[in-house]
Amino acid sequence: MKITFVQVNGVEKTIEDARPGETLMILGRTHGVEGILGDCGGGCSCATCHVYVDPEWQTAVGPPDEIESATLDTVSNVLRANSRLGCQIVLRPELDGLRVTVAPSG
Amino acid sequence: MTAITEANLPALPIETAAFSRNPDPFAAAARRIHPWIARFSQGLVVHGYQATKDLLADDQHFRPGFSPAVAFYGLQDHLWGRFMEEMLLSVSGEKHKRLRSSVAAAFTPRRANQVRPQMRKVISALLDEWAPKGSFDFAEFGAHFPVAVVLGLLGVAADVDPTIQLGLENQLSSLTFDPAAKPLFLAGWDVLWEFSDRLVIEREASGLHDPDALLDVLIEAKRKGLLDETELRFMLLVLVVAGYDTSKNMLALTMRQLIARPDAYARCAEDIAYCGKILDEALRHSSITTPYRTVCEAFEYDGFQFERGTVVVFATALAGRDPAAYENPLSFEPERNPNNRHVAFGRGAHMCLGQHIARAQLEEGLHLIAQRLRNPRLTAEPTWRPFLGTWGYKSLPIAFDPSVS
Repeated sequence: MKITFVQVNGVEKTIEDARPGETLMILGRTHGVEGILGDCGGGCSCATCHVYVDPEWQTAVGPPDEIESATLDTVSNVLRANSRLGCQIVLRPELDGLRVTVAPSG
Repeated sequence: MTAITEANLPALPIETAAFSRNPDPFAAAARRIHPWIARFSQGLVVHGYQATKDLLADDQHFRPGFSPAVAFYGLQDHLWGRFMEEMLLSVSGEKHKRLRSSVAAAFTPRRANQVRPQMRKVISALLDEWAPKGSFDFAEFGAHFPVAVVLGLLGVAADVDPTIQLGLENQLSSLTFDPAAKPLFLAGWDVLWEFSDRLVIEREASGLHDPDALLDVLIEAKRKGLLDETELRFMLLVLVVAGYDTSKNMLALTMRQLIARPDAYARCAEDIAYCGKILDEALRHSSITTPYRTVCEAFEYDGFQFERGTVVVFATALAGRDPAAYENPLSFEPERNPNNRHVAFGRGAHMCLGQHIARAQLEEGLHLIAQRLRNPRLTAEPTWRPFLGTWGYKSLPIAFDPSVS
């Protein structure tokens, strides 16, 4: 699977060999994507893997659930309608080609 | 590759009163031999910032938990031993996920902000009682409000049982590896277990149900089969225990820094956002926790081989004072705005569940305290609690000018 991050420093990074089943946060952290920190290891409690999903991918990715939405309050000053936490996006074949922008820290 | 057991590492006298009173000279001497790791009587101490960040987040090679302390006291068959080995902070993988998810909704930042008015009410009521005194032991005062806040979250009347505070007082002394602590924490344990058990039984018998009350959320999780009877009681206790020493010690350590900075203290009374800034620097400068891990799968890190079974304790206070990560690390500078974010709430799957609640109650606490206790000054030398477990002041005697609001 191919996933593209626009890193927090503005530089694009495309990962060609992403695997279904892993999360966007783990993928970003493993590949040293700038701005993807994942402090809580994927527990949806720290909001340090905040991304903006490209509009054309929003439907495929889906909205945050209640807990993710409440955790996104941590970064309310940089929140957008297409905000998601990377740790809650599990990669699946339909997301091949996904493009996200890493949000600045809140 | 050097086996960590064979490495030439300094020893840190982390269990001693002298270390607790002032760890910095010991840490400086240890850093001259090795920059981020040392030994202590029960295993290794990681004290460098980068290593703390990397290894605390390593949920693959480390297992959390307090088995070393349980074994030290020979309490593997005691209910206290089961609690220490089976509660939320001690388990990994799917069980950890299941337990954490049973309470996650109550600990989001949104929920923490929603309960701020309730926190303000509790703290104001305490200040109404304590502020007219003009002087008191701030550590004793600070012990009251985490209990009141957590009982409020549970949906239980804050005046339910004053003995639980006594029960809580010695719980984390079990992590000092001091044989003298055993009768104290076991006596406290009996009080806490009885409290937790009664809380569940009485709530279930009452027929009350409040969807915002955490106690009811947990009882509901048990009904759905997500928690069993013992897990439910352990979960209640871990929430009370983990929120107690941590919050009160952090509050007193922060207060000590503010007493030396009257301008910053006065600003806290006016500006709650500034309280957040003060708190961030306090969490960097004087973090209070020493999380335990045991190596569950051998691995290599920075030239060392770590064998399975090795006990590692993370001295987060020293990580916050690592000169490799912070300029003038011993200096308390609220405007520091560091690139290296503090590790006081840990990293990885066991990152502090209550961090948003803790932040909210400490911010609200500082804001109101600064309004009500004007011109605080020390009236005697503070005394210290053990460094292991939850570091902080045993006593912080202060005098101040009471203010009505």
